[in-house]
Amino acid sequence: MTINKYQKREAFLLLSPVLLFVFFLASCQKQPILNFGSNYIGDNGSADIVVVDTATVIMSTVRVDSTATAGTGFLQVGQYSDDYFGVVRSRAFMQVAPPSLPKITVFDGYDSLYLIMLFKKGNPYYGDTTSELTINVNQVNELYQLSDDRQQKAFYSNWSFGIDPTPLGTAKVRMYPSIPYSTQGFADTVKVRLDQALGAHLFDMIYNNADTITKSQNWLNWFHGLCISADPAAGSKGAIYGFGDSAIMRIYYHEVGTTTALKTIDFGIANKSFQFNNITTDRTSSPLAKLNAPLPNLPSQTPPATRSDSLGGAGYVQSATGLNVKLTFPYLNGIAHRQDYLSVVRAVLTVRPVGNSFTTTWTLPPQLSVDYTDLNNLIGAPIPSSTTGAAQTGNLVVNYAVPQNSAYTYDVTNFIKAQILDVSVGATDKGLMLSVPSPNNVNSFARAILADGNAPTTQKVTLSVYYLSLYPHN
Amino acid sequence: MKLRSRSYILISLVFFSSLRTMAQGNFSPYSQMGIGDLEDNFYNRTSGLANTGIAYRNNRYIINNNPAAYSALTDQYFTVEMGVRGAVVNYYGTPVNPASTQSGDITFRRLAMAIKVTKHWGSSIGLVPFSTQNYEYDVPYYLQGSTNELANHHYQGHGSVNKVYWGNAYEFFHHLSIGVEAGYLFGQLNQKDNLQNIGSGATLASTTNTVDLNNLYMQYGLQLYGKLGKKWEYALGGTFNQRNDLLASYNRVVLDNDSIQRNSQELAQTYLGVPNAFGVGLSLTHNQKYTFLADYKYQNWAAEKNSYPGKNYTITNSNRGSVGFEISRKKSFYNSKIELSYAQLGAYYGENYLQINGQQIKDYGVTASFGVNSLKGQNPLAYDIVLQYGVKGTQKNDLVQQRYFNITFVINYGTIWFTKGKKYD
Repeated sequence: MTINKYQKREAFLLLSPVLLFVFFLASCQKQPILNFGSNYIGDNGSADIVVVDTATVIMSTVRVDSTATAGTGFLQVGQYSDDYFGVVRSRAFMQVAPPSLPKITVFDGYDSLYLIMLFKKGNPYYGDTTSELTINVNQVNELYQLSDDRQQKAFYSNWSFGIDPTPLGTAKVRMYPSIPYSTQGFADTVKVRLDQALGAHLFDMIYNNADTITKSQNWLNWFHGLCISADPAAGSKGAIYGFGDSAIMRIYYHEVGTTTALKTIDFGIANKSFQFNNITTDRTSSPLAKLNAPLPNLPSQTPPATRSDSLGGAGYVQSATGLNVKLTFPYLNGIAHRQDYLSVVRAVLTVRPVGNSFTTTWTLPPQLSVDYTDLNNLIGAPIPSSTTGAAQTGNLVVNYAVPQNSAYTYDVTNFIKAQILDVSVGATDKGLMLSVPSPNNVNSFARAILADGNAPTTQKVTLSVYYLSLYPHN
Repeated sequence: MKLRSRSYILISLVFFSSLRTMAQGNFSPYSQMGIGDLEDNFYNRTSGLANTGIAYRNNRYIINNNPAAYSALTDQYFTVEMGVRGAVVNYYGTPVNPASTQSGDITFRRLAMAIKVTKHWGSSIGLVPFSTQNYEYDVPYYLQGSTNELANHHYQGHGSVNKVYWGNAYEFFHHLSIGVEAGYLFGQLNQKDNLQNIGSGATLASTTNTVDLNNLYMQYGLQLYGKLGKKWEYALGGTFNQRNDLLASYNRVVLDNDSIQRNSQELAQTYLGVPNAFGVGLSLTHNQKYTFLADYKYQNWAAEKNSYPGKNYTITNSNRGSVGFEISRKKSFYNSKIELSYAQLGAYYGENYLQINGQQIKDYGVTASFGVNSLKGQNPLAYDIVLQYGVKGTQKNDLVQQRYFNITFVINYGTIWFTKGKKYD
């Protein structure tokens, strides 16, 4: 008898870990990219996406009594007449600083006094720029200061000072802002010749080193400031131009010596944060005549909102004149109550300007921001894009040939996700505010007339809610 | 004894690992239909013969092509076999994105054990894949009637149906073997629809449909064999699979954001049919060295088509023909011959059970293998390496063609049973 001992088991044991290692390699693999299969998918009861674009959108125009027009960097001067917004007028108020005093001799002679304003390319303007404007410069006839009685912190668009009814000077000018050029022939400079007697008086004061001109407070108490306004030519629509806040009042004189030299003395703007634009409107003959106005003499109040059905089926945005549009969605909860509703995937707000309300002259604001608002009708936190997290300005697509294809669109997913489940008291007052973002909210008069939910389907404001849908399975 | 116990533990570990790894593999776009990609390969000694083996008998390897073959094992023999396959697939056709057209994987495919219980009774148990499902693709989801893309459907399907079997064969009159294989099909197919945000790719909702399948699938086999003159041997084989209904239990889970469970429920159970099937085979061996083989198989899938829902495809009858040729190198050892090595060639052509866009999916290719046994005469391990190149599907009618290259390793371990490592001459 022989006994053979085999090494079989040992070899097998050695091999097994190798095999195990090979098994785990199985998970390390790459795969092809195939667009194959969509035709063979049956209804497997998966969650689906349903779009609801019939949610009711209530549109209101909110009117705030004023806007912060001080220190904007622009002297908004002019007046225009808009078929939708009525007459809009802007006057610029500025406080003139005393000059640095040159040495003037008895032989030097005064020549003239001018207000010089600059209109650089890119400065804001709005309206019919083909019409001639008559620019008036009036002297403020009261102290140019914040009101202690009103505990005023800054000047706003609804503020103004009394002015001397007789202008210090006027000038007729037609401006071509896109060049820029004016008919006065000084390129981008507009000059208004001021009262010669005042100029001579100022020149004498400088020659005499009068306290009024050497002491700043005395000067401000005496001269106050200037108001610059403009009237359009009769029969024209008019326009408003934004001049730079580098405007100066300038004395021209000549210095007599071996040769005669032309000299100037400049009065700049004393305090640029005190320069403000007084904006007034006359909406009596416009669709906005029925706009609810803030209650008079009530300093702190909720800006009144006027429903679009009272305003010709539209909402009106012109933040410079205090108009913004509020949107609310009173029946949004109805979507969440649907049997198949799971959650909001995406929500897109599409706002379309009324088709014939804008032209290349009466342009739309290139940007309209969307912000949270509530029953106080104030502009709240921006609604960020759900994908980028950035604040949104509407991505305006303008189509002048087919105006109804122009639209502002917003990703309002984050807002709708919260709002659709909000059943708290006052939830229906929570909504979105559309307004012109800074700095154009005070510098630009571009406006939008937005169609409400009763407009034709292709033009109305639309909230599209994409929600995950899963029908209950039995 | 201690060593033997460890062997059992390792075998068990391999067994359970295999359940996981069988489910993985290259993407197969057709596997989303029916019950998945049906497995045609046996990952055994016949793999190099294009899996031609209904009439094949071998005294060392586990030939599970036909349960009647287990009786051919050497007396008192115990053997274990494993199959591991590495595959590289190239994809062709209009649905294939040129950016990525290839995949590769290595997967465990088979584990089987067999024993010659008595002189005429051979028995085997094992775990083999029956079908696999493995696909992923994206489908843009548009608002109906517009080009407004809302989201992206990312469809995933993973899973497998495996078979554990117990096969027994009994030899009568030295020329006839009858075998019965009790196979138990079980497995899970997971199909997931991920609805994804087109911007971020984040999953908005996922719906997972899990189908658990199980039931018996019986196979009966017969082999008739003998000599034709002094130098020729013949074998005829036949197999029959008895149709059955797999109990399909469905479970659906819907997750919001792929995390919050919104719905989970068991749906009504249904049955998916596995069909009647038969196969016939022929084997001719000359001088114990050269063997010619041929097989034909037919599966009556058309009778089961109503149990498989789906769109734009139908279940149809499948068939497969294959031929093989083997050269075996043997040396005389006492009164018998011991095989040292062998080489095989094979070719196959099959029509799959899926008819898609009017095209029945075809699968054809060639195989070659080389195997080494008992290098030192009594070494218990034997190895077989199989190369396979095949083409599946067509590029016509917007379908995908897969050209695949497989390398399969079959490892066989054999010993004498009940001798506790001692062999009495």
